[in-house]
Amino acid sequence: MPSVVPALEWLEALAWTTAIRESTWGYPLVETAHVASIVAFAGLVIMMDLRLVGLAFTDAPPMQIQRRLFPWQMAGLALSTATGLLLCCVDPLRYYGNVFFRVKLVLLALAGVNAAAFHLTTYRRAERWEDDPQITATARLAAGVSLVLWSAIIVSGRFIAFNWFD
Amino acid sequence: MLLLPFLEWCEGLAMSQAYRESLWLFAATQSLHLVAVTTFVGAISIVDLRLLGWGPVRQPRARLARSAQRILLWAGLAVLATGIPQFTVNALSYSRSPVFVFKMCLLAAALVFTATLRRRVAVADEGRLPSWVPRTVGAVSLALWMGVTITGRLITFYG
Amino acid sequence: MMKTKIIVVLLAAGALWSVRSAQAHHPFAAEYDVNKPLTLTGTLARMEWVNPHGWIYMDVKQPDGTVRQWTVETSAPGQMSRRGLKKNDFVDGMPLVIKGYQSRKDPTLANGRTLVLADGRSFYIGAVGGPNDGADR
Repeated sequence: MPSVVPALEWLEALAWTTAIRESTWGYPLVETAHVASIVAFAGLVIMMDLRLVGLAFTDAPPMQIQRRLFPWQMAGLALSTATGLLLCCVDPLRYYGNVFFRVKLVLLALAGVNAAAFHLTTYRRAERWEDDPQITATARLAAGVSLVLWSAIIVSGRFIAFNWFD
Repeated sequence: MLLLPFLEWCEGLAMSQAYRESLWLFAATQSLHLVAVTTFVGAISIVDLRLLGWGPVRQPRARLARSAQRILLWAGLAVLATGIPQFTVNALSYSRSPVFVFKMCLLAAALVFTATLRRRVAVADEGRLPSWVPRTVGAVSLALWMGVTITGRLITFYG
Repeated sequence: MMKTKIIVVLLAAGALWSVRSAQAHHPFAAEYDVNKPLTLTGTLARMEWVNPHGWIYMDVKQPDGTVRQWTVETSAPGQMSRRGLKKNDFVDGMPLVIKGYQSRKDPTLANGRTLVLADGRSFYIGAVGGPNDGADR
């Protein structure tokens, strides 16, 4: 199986990726935007999940909250993905070899599957939540899983900074 | 410097020594700090979005704000509990970091603003205030709290 | 109340699950030994002026005549620039002195605190939050 390392080395050697990596303001800008957008996005996801598990905003129908928060969550997700991809381009070999980065990607995939499953099933039947407690149980599970996954994603992202050479 | 005895006292605390020596403890504390900060910012944002007219609008703003306030208190407590040990371990070094000092000033401003003006506006009857008031309060609050988050990250890059 | 406990446990578990093992690091104390201060005198092999940490590779002559290459971790370019250091202050082959602390595991890795250039200028190259040795004054 051909190694992807030469391609990553090529990416790392490009003039623009090198410039960002060595920049006193470019890299800090991208990385800080990445962290800030994650905090904004995940913060709103946590609020939604807390509603679904019944810990907060309990007198608000969940659908109302989710519909209004969704565009902002997507904006935060878009910005964190864009800045994340940019960071990968700027320092590809470092992330490729970093175990916490790989863990973070796996967790992100799992969070995506959980969100998709929720949006495609429970969410669609949400109008009936007020009447049907059984659907709420599934929603609560998805929300609980989401809380665990996003906490783990945040932490694994932070741990990328701690060097652990494979 | 007047603060010197206080800072040295911080570094000498048994808690600081424990954090210095235990790999596990410091990593866990920093991890919980990040999750607590994210939860805190989430609770701030949902009300600020509402103040700006963009959040969940069908709920009475006051009820949304009161529910968010409970999250703010718990998450805020967790942020403090996990933030203070991180500071005391390296109190002297952090005190010499202009970016850290700026973050603390922003944090103080954000706390005062949130506990006073923002709270009054958030729970006020929605017809009573001209629309520019809640909008401005929401914008200032977001700016202050995102500012604290961003400045915290910049300590690594600019000292 | 039970629900609150479950959620707190869930969030904590989520956070701690990523801590994995005792190899999770404190930025300074787990990687570098504050009881092993050192002074390295040598010549610059190359400087990686990069974010989030710079890396100085220097050739240090040993007492027995051999040359050993050391790797020294520095703070970010923004931090070093703020103190007046520039990327082009580093010229391959130039003499330099570094004071810092040795790594716990790697015998040729160190955390740099003070850099002294050939012209006598001295700079703090460590990050915020290291040992309290006064190097950052």
